[in-house]
Amino acid sequence: MAEVTLDTRPLVREAPPDTRGPSSPQSLTALWLGIGSIAAVLGGTIALILNYELSPRVLTPSCIDLQLTREIRGALGVCNFVEALRSSAETAVLLIGIALGVVAMTFGWSIRGRMDTLRRREQAITGAILGLQGVFIALVILAFREGRPDLFAKNFLNFAVIGPYFPGPFFSAIKNTIVLAFVGEAGGIVIGMVLAVLSLSTRSAARAPARAYINLFRGTPLIWQLATGYFVLLLGFDIRPSTFLVAMGIFALNTGAYAAEVFRAGIQSIERGQIEAARSLGMTYLQAMRFAIVPQAIRRVIPPLMNEFVILIKDTALVVVLGLTTSQQELFAWARAGQSDTFNATFFTAAALGYLVVTLPLIRLVNAVERRLRSGLVGIAGATP
Amino acid sequence: MSEIRSAPMPPPDEEPLIRMDGVHKWFGDNHVLRGIDVSLEPGEVEVIVGPSGGGKSTLLRCANLLERPTLGKVWFMNEDITDIRCDLDAVRTKMGMVFQQFNLFPHMTALSNITVALEKVLRLNDAEARDRAMEQLQHVGLEHKADSYPGQLSGGQQQRVAIARALAMTPRLMLFDEVTSALDPELVGEVLGVMRQLAEEGMTMMVVTHEMGFAREVGTWMVFVDGGVIAERGRPKEMFANPQTDRLRQFLSKVL
Repeated sequence: MAEVTLDTRPLVREAPPDTRGPSSPQSLTALWLGIGSIAAVLGGTIALILNYELSPRVLTPSCIDLQLTREIRGALGVCNFVEALRSSAETAVLLIGIALGVVAMTFGWSIRGRMDTLRRREQAITGAILGLQGVFIALVILAFREGRPDLFAKNFLNFAVIGPYFPGPFFSAIKNTIVLAFVGEAGGIVIGMVLAVLSLSTRSAARAPARAYINLFRGTPLIWQLATGYFVLLLGFDIRPSTFLVAMGIFALNTGAYAAEVFRAGIQSIERGQIEAARSLGMTYLQAMRFAIVPQAIRRVIPPLMNEFVILIKDTALVVVLGLTTSQQELFAWARAGQSDTFNATFFTAAALGYLVVTLPLIRLVNAVERRLRSGLVGIAGATP
Repeated sequence: MSEIRSAPMPPPDEEPLIRMDGVHKWFGDNHVLRGIDVSLEPGEVEVIVGPSGGGKSTLLRCANLLERPTLGKVWFMNEDITDIRCDLDAVRTKMGMVFQQFNLFPHMTALSNITVALEKVLRLNDAEARDRAMEQLQHVGLEHKADSYPGQLSGGQQQRVAIARALAMTPRLMLFDEVTSALDPELVGEVLGVMRQLAEEGMTMMVVTHEMGFAREVGTWMVFVDGGVIAERGRPKEMFANPQTDRLRQFLSKVL
């Protein structure tokens, strides 16, 4: 029979030509004004703070007036920060930034319509946007230093107080956070699979308990589930459970409800024709699910499940309501323990940084996986021979 | 409501392979099939034509119970397959179906698309399943595409793999649901060629199609389905030459 051959020439990958056209001195001016504004404000401020922190200095009389005395751990660091913010150099930096920003905004925005190439217009508009950001940040810093930056810095940015709790307990807390979230997510995936299959049943008797479960766990606060779950075991069943285990269990049960909805959506997103084809070959419902539907659905639910995992990492903070032993402390419990020892909230700032260390790579990974999955079915099937 | 040409009585010793008996189908309160009677002997090809929305596809899907008839019975190989005690999975291994949208499993190669049911449903071992699948791929001229994924095949090639997948189960009856409608025009011929060859080899087939040339030449019988009923049934050549109902006349004047 006639064979229609596909074009098998290798796809030529060639970057498209740059059609944005040349730039102009005018549009470049707008762009550099914007860049200058934001550089003055951000770069200037950071450089000043670093300069104050790193050069040899002593506690100034004004700092001592602010009760930043030598007895306070880290007082010098806080003092330097405040002195830098309130220095006249900082004032100059901020005013220069605002001036550049205002010029960039008005100039860039007013010439944008007259720009005759795409590149020129983008440069003009980008300059205006950067200028706006520079002005905004400068105004925030101005307002901040008129308030009580000394009190704020002493309580939230005094990283010297963390010393005894770092790095050992801190990284152990990060590890516990990851363990809690990982076990919770893994258990939740198993529970969610079962619930998803039940909630897709055509029989309301099978569907009803799954829906009730999902609605209970999606409809109540996680913090209530943690507290109640603990007392259900302690009082209701007269078991004295480890709070860490209870937390893992509740996280799994809670994540199960959300994962069930993710799986259900994933399965329902597979075209009807797939199950019809499988059934018409004589496969049972479960065989069709296992060999045709679920392998395709899994690929589609990986990004939303990873998002759930990121959310769960942050939600592990709620175990503080249960109270944990020192070795079980996750990041938030670590911060709270440190804060109650030292009466300093910088621990929470450090905890936030700890969460970011874990979540940022994961968020990047989710985005990369999503891009890959979206780039085509062949890629999903792993069809590179 | 309409004159129905009666088919010649089958020889008494030959049982029909499939018989649909007063089949009605409602979707909600939409009465899609309104009393369908179909009877097909082994080796016959029944082409089903008619305007869209007339119930052709539903009729076909009622044959292997992808849609369960609301009323009426379907007999296949002397078994009432509308009886809820009937093992439909076993029945469907004897009744292949090919779809408009191919419905190949996109995560499997052409070969695995065929072997998966052979291994999991018919319980053949790897080597047997592979041999049988390769034989069917050869049959549709695609043995060199065994390791390609559906996304790497043209529409016509995908549809031929889908036909091979159904044939590998050694069905007694093949159902074709507008299998060329989603294809680019230049790819229709290769699929119709496979189906024509299959008919010549004696496969019993029910074919919903818009390809009137195919219907005329390959069909043993043709039924014209409109408004959920079989408005006319007969030999394709006679029906094309001499339509008995106004509705068929109108339909033919539009599609020919």
